[in-house]
Amino acid sequence: MNDLSLTVNGEKISSLVEPRTSLADLLREQMNLTGTHLGCEQGVCGACTILVDGVPVRSCISNATACGGAEVRTIEDFDRDPLMIELRQAFNAHHALQCGFCTPGMLIMARDIVMRLHGADEARIRIELAGNLCRCTGYAGIVKAIRSVIVSRQEALPPRPPASLPLGPAGSGHASAGNALVHVEKNGLATADAQDKPLQVKAAAAPAPLAGKRAPAVKQSFSVAAPQPVVWERFGDVPSMIRCIPGASLVSQEADGTYQIKMRVKMGPIGAEFAGVARQERNDDALTGIIHGSGRDARSASLAEGQLTYRLVDENNGESTRVDIEVSYQLSGALAQFARGGIVTHFIGAITTQFAENLSRSLSSAGTEEEVVEPGELRIAGSFAGALKAWLVDLLRSPFRK
Amino acid sequence: MFVEERLDGQAQVKGQGIGARLPRKEDDRFMRGRGLYVGDMKMPGLADVAFVRSPLAHARILSVNIPPSLEGRVFTARDLEGVKPIRAVSGLPGFKPSSQPPLAEGKVRFTGEPIAMCVGPTRAEAEDMAALVSTDLEPLPVLADFSTAEQSEELRVHEEWPDNIYLETKVNKGDRFVLDGAAIVVEREIGLSRQCMVPLEGKGTIAWWDTRLDQLVVYTSTQLPHMMRTGLAECLGLEERQVHVVAPDVGGGFGFKCILQPEEVCVAWLALTKKRPFRWVEDRREHLVAAANTREHHYRIKAFADADGRLLGLEADVAVDVGAYSVWPFSACLESAQIASILPGPYEMPFYACRTRSVATNKPPFTPYRGVARTGVCFALELMIDAIAREAGLEPAEVRLRNLVRPEQMPFTNITGKLFDSGDYPESVRQAVDAIDLPAFRERQKDGDGDGRLLGVGFATYCEQAAHGTTVYAAWGIPMVPGFEQATARVTPDGGLELRIGVHSHGQGMETSMAQVAHEILGVEIDKINVVHGDTAVTPYSTGTWGSRSMVMAGGAVSRACEIIAKRAIAIGAHLLQTTPDQVVLEEGEVRSRTGSIRFQQIAEAWYKTPEVLPADVAHEGLEVTAGYKPKVDSGTFSYATHAAIVAVDPEFGSVEILDYVVVEDGGTLVNPLIVDGQIIGGVAQGIGTALYEESPYSEDGQPLASTFVDYIIPGPCEVPDIRILHMETPSPFTAHGIKGIGEGGAIAPPAAIANAINDALRPLRAEVATTPVTPHRLLAAIAAAAEKQLGKP
Amino acid sequence: MKPSQFGYARPANVEEAVRLLQEADGSAKVMAGGQSLGPLLNLRLAQPSLIIDITAIRELTLVREEKDAIVYGACVTHASVEDRRVPDATNGFLPSVAAGIAYRAVRNRGTMGGSLAHADPAADWMTTLTALGAEILVAGSAGERRVALDQFMTAPFSVALEDSEFIIGIRIRRYSQAARFGYFKFCRKRGEFAEAMGAVVIDPELGIRRGIIGATDSRPILVPDMDACLRPSGEGIQAAKAMIAAMKIADDPVRDGMHANAFARALKQVAQ
Repeated sequence: MNDLSLTVNGEKISSLVEPRTSLADLLREQMNLTGTHLGCEQGVCGACTILVDGVPVRSCISNATACGGAEVRTIEDFDRDPLMIELRQAFNAHHALQCGFCTPGMLIMARDIVMRLHGADEARIRIELAGNLCRCTGYAGIVKAIRSVIVSRQEALPPRPPASLPLGPAGSGHASAGNALVHVEKNGLATADAQDKPLQVKAAAAPAPLAGKRAPAVKQSFSVAAPQPVVWERFGDVPSMIRCIPGASLVSQEADGTYQIKMRVKMGPIGAEFAGVARQERNDDALTGIIHGSGRDARSASLAEGQLTYRLVDENNGESTRVDIEVSYQLSGALAQFARGGIVTHFIGAITTQFAENLSRSLSSAGTEEEVVEPGELRIAGSFAGALKAWLVDLLRSPFRK
Repeated sequence: MFVEERLDGQAQVKGQGIGARLPRKEDDRFMRGRGLYVGDMKMPGLADVAFVRSPLAHARILSVNIPPSLEGRVFTARDLEGVKPIRAVSGLPGFKPSSQPPLAEGKVRFTGEPIAMCVGPTRAEAEDMAALVSTDLEPLPVLADFSTAEQSEELRVHEEWPDNIYLETKVNKGDRFVLDGAAIVVEREIGLSRQCMVPLEGKGTIAWWDTRLDQLVVYTSTQLPHMMRTGLAECLGLEERQVHVVAPDVGGGFGFKCILQPEEVCVAWLALTKKRPFRWVEDRREHLVAAANTREHHYRIKAFADADGRLLGLEADVAVDVGAYSVWPFSACLESAQIASILPGPYEMPFYACRTRSVATNKPPFTPYRGVARTGVCFALELMIDAIAREAGLEPAEVRLRNLVRPEQMPFTNITGKLFDSGDYPESVRQAVDAIDLPAFRERQKDGDGDGRLLGVGFATYCEQAAHGTTVYAAWGIPMVPGFEQATARVTPDGGLELRIGVHSHGQGMETSMAQVAHEILGVEIDKINVVHGDTAVTPYSTGTWGSRSMVMAGGAVSRACEIIAKRAIAIGAHLLQTTPDQVVLEEGEVRSRTGSIRFQQIAEAWYKTPEVLPADVAHEGLEVTAGYKPKVDSGTFSYATHAAIVAVDPEFGSVEILDYVVVEDGGTLVNPLIVDGQIIGGVAQGIGTALYEESPYSEDGQPLASTFVDYIIPGPCEVPDIRILHMETPSPFTAHGIKGIGEGGAIAPPAAIANAINDALRPLRAEVATTPVTPHRLLAAIAAAAEKQLGKP
Repeated sequence: MKPSQFGYARPANVEEAVRLLQEADGSAKVMAGGQSLGPLLNLRLAQPSLIIDITAIRELTLVREEKDAIVYGACVTHASVEDRRVPDATNGFLPSVAAGIAYRAVRNRGTMGGSLAHADPAADWMTTLTALGAEILVAGSAGERRVALDQFMTAPFSVALEDSEFIIGIRIRRYSQAARFGYFKFCRKRGEFAEAMGAVVIDPELGIRRGIIGATDSRPILVPDMDACLRPSGEGIQAAKAMIAAMKIADDPVRDGMHANAFARALKQVAQ
């Protein structure tokens, strides 16, 4: 918690807030200013629009602490504002609201449009209002109401010169810099428990996949300059296999022959750490094996389940070995819930390629491990770019890009 | 007081009664940020609830792992002892009911299904806890779409079922021989994608125990508080008198807030067992990935017509993907029952056959959205009308004129037995053709606008059976059958009026329009009339706001109650004027005789404050009345409309701009044209969303792929054009004041009108779209497919 | 949908910010206006241990005019550019781009530096500033350095920054009065992400002819043969469309077509 001072609707207030608190939650939950509505908390719908230092901002994605010292005005502060009185009359006359949920944000934005854009016609008003969603009215009344106020004020008032505003983020310019960090509360549940929590995910029996239901398998083949029995033995060594998977690490080996593993993946600002269990099944006669792993990323409540199948084939009269691998996977939960999830296939493909390279190198050099690439964490580098794109793009898309 | 001209230039009704274009009374509080929504409420000791939801669409729950430190703050199905599952049983023969436990038990059936709930002092802390609860799930193969689910031999969404079909229905009307030798036969596969309803306020519930009244108090964001009371009492094993439900200000409903949600039951259970206040507010992500969806219809449809484009018959095979559970109180089958009964639309035809299936899948439950099945039906049918027109070489509008039910046939019973009450359907098409200036458009279309875009015009005509009554709903088999709607009118001692209605207003403006009905009869100033709604403790029982029924039904009840009040007021007034009731009239808020007048306020004062002036036999029942209302014929009102759209299709990007949009609507008597226009425009905006933008796609393993407003696009100010509205007003012969229901209508026709316009624009390329939403990718794919086809046959 | 817990620091100067980044060892996120990071925090997709708010560093909100370039502090907002509250080196091009970024309420807090650090392929600045040949000023434990923007983005949402580094400014050369600029993006909904975008910068005096295809799968792509694209009387447009479609940027005919068409629209704006 840190002590935050702000001016809200003309009153100086100070409040204890967690660093994660948004302006919207501060206003709604601590100050009972519930006219500021939350319609998405993704920065898209505009229902939470308030004035900070005189200009409209999204309170749901504005960090409260960062706005220390700012001057905040919410819809509750405009009862006597002459322009807002006109806007209210116009909104009422033009039936610019129905359920009323978007209305506070609409009015704040409308007032900004009237003040900033003298002479805006309906087309311009629509563009300026594009960041405020209304599900009830179809916008016609809102646009006409704003236009009517613009017209009436054009007659009454000369245009005002644009206000001189700071160049940085509205509201962020006041708080004094703090040398001391505000630390995460140690009694906070998330940080404390998550670290030492034992792995919760048991290896579930592999689901019987429906034909075509699983994500398409990624296949790779490579040759190793070692005789098949040597390679077969190495494949039996699960820990060294795991070491070849980018981002994966072995936590422990269990008595029942399973392995506790971790896999870290980092993509831009998103980091996931899947913790779970791996086990291997081998068929000595067919020279095939399956390594099955499943894990959970506690942060995003996402589940990943994957299967690596391998088959060894003699080459060059037993001097070398061809390794065929096939990886299939399933991703579920928050990380999967964006459009164009098929891109994960490409991502797995990239991991598989890297794995194959690492494995091949590690086998050729008779088990040395130094050459394994990026063992600690899988980071997305340029080579993965094409593969990752669509998934990431949707994962991180525009409300997050501004 | 209000000067804006009506868009259609018709004369404005003066005064404050029925027909007056009055600005709304309720606006003020919303414009000052003083509305009160569930999420705004706080109480001492309030705890916030966050749900742990299934990451998988279909899985056995092996265990739910709760860290010891969270004991007592996390609850699972095991804790909800004695809580009954939500069961919405359709009365239609052959229906298979589902049981939806408030927290998943044994297995999960859709991604996002609640498994556990966490209680914290703030939402953030409750979410922190949720992140620490893990589940061991054994994945099961997923039935992610209706055809997989239908065809699956072994896999079941509900194990005890023999298949995955809630219900199959068949309708066969007329003799099929009329189709023999049909000159035109067109067959199409037409589909509407799954979508969300997206009221801007999410669902929310706050519940506590009132120890004084020994009642569970539940403030919940709902369209039908009285039904929620019934549903909650059933699930929690309480008597209804022990449950008090309030729907405060509700930030949009559109059908979504009609159903009893598992989360509502959970929060109510917490309050019931812990005797403390608990709150859950659905966030946008929860709404988009875990809440009830809608619209997903799949049609295989065949239309038969003679060479002149006259319809001979329709054959349709329709699947509705209704997801994992049957929603209460509408059931999993209202949608398909409605499809079967209304697919012929406003057209006359001698033959009709339709098979429907309501299919269970591993997706969230399906609930009717504004327009209910009519939007899908209109899309399928109107695309077929245009396909016939193209085959016949006729203007699509002309084909409509040749087949629509005619005014001289009214009242008209159609092939499925629907009783059309009144109206001139062809006239709505003619007016739309004039308004859009079809001949001029055809000229303009030839040359285009010079920017490379293709122009097209599309029409769609529909009828909106609304305010369906007892017989209709009984036939559809749903667990809720509306009977009489009631209203209470109470004259206050100072001559004001309080109206209490059991329906709920969440944008429809009933705090104004109901007052207008009362004003029409009693003449009390609108400002002195208070409309109370949304509270089971103070309003008469009602099945709530849905089905475009409130103005007809609750308006009718207000009208009846006020008529009784008027009679008593006249009796009192006549006595005070020392004459008899037959010698006076009630007008403009006064009882007038030839020699004098008594103001309404004086009448109230006499009754309440100086009863000694009134003899015992004058209006002894008082100035407070609860009256019930049902229309003379309760099969519903039929409002109807023709929508016409002109679009420009950009073949380089597959984008569609709506250049003009006209609605010619007959909503019977309009109580408040300003509000009616608002409902129509708002409905059209949602229809545009369905037509071009909104979709909740699911992956093959049942993962929802639109979890933010970035993946899920709802139209903004630049995506909704100005809508021009022309009114026809044919009063219903069956209802009080001739009112018809119109609330949903706007959302019915836009997908059809817009897709028809797109197809008209694409004619030179011989491409056709038949799936909502018509995204750039779908549109460009249709163009590419057509080009490929043409290459194939030189 | 509330963020998980994080620590918060508000350094007073660049050195302190660098020190904090260094200490955090990759687990911190730099925040300016937070308009890209905020939603990711709310969704709990980003869970940094520490947020380093750089808005108290005064120099990051300033603009420095050099003889042949203008240097914008990383924390200069889109709205400041849109409103022409900062000097413009591009005859009005920058303000017109800024006005099309998301929505006004977002532009009042969203910053140029934040947008570039986020490196969404479909973001406006990444494509247009690459077309302008901008440079990124970076501070880190090894001091300050300059990176050409076309070398800055490495992959979607990934940039060439070390853990201890962050963007402090953007340097844009001054264009001549004769310069012409074209920019087109195709979005399904106004203010939302672009499915395709193209930017063209022509400055005859500086001898610059540059075309960029944005909103690709990854980094902005430089159009290889601008001379062909600028052939007169529609010929150049046709050449550009054919050239870009043949590049198979998305390896999907529909999207490849969109890229070609978007670039052609930008090109038309500068065609003479």
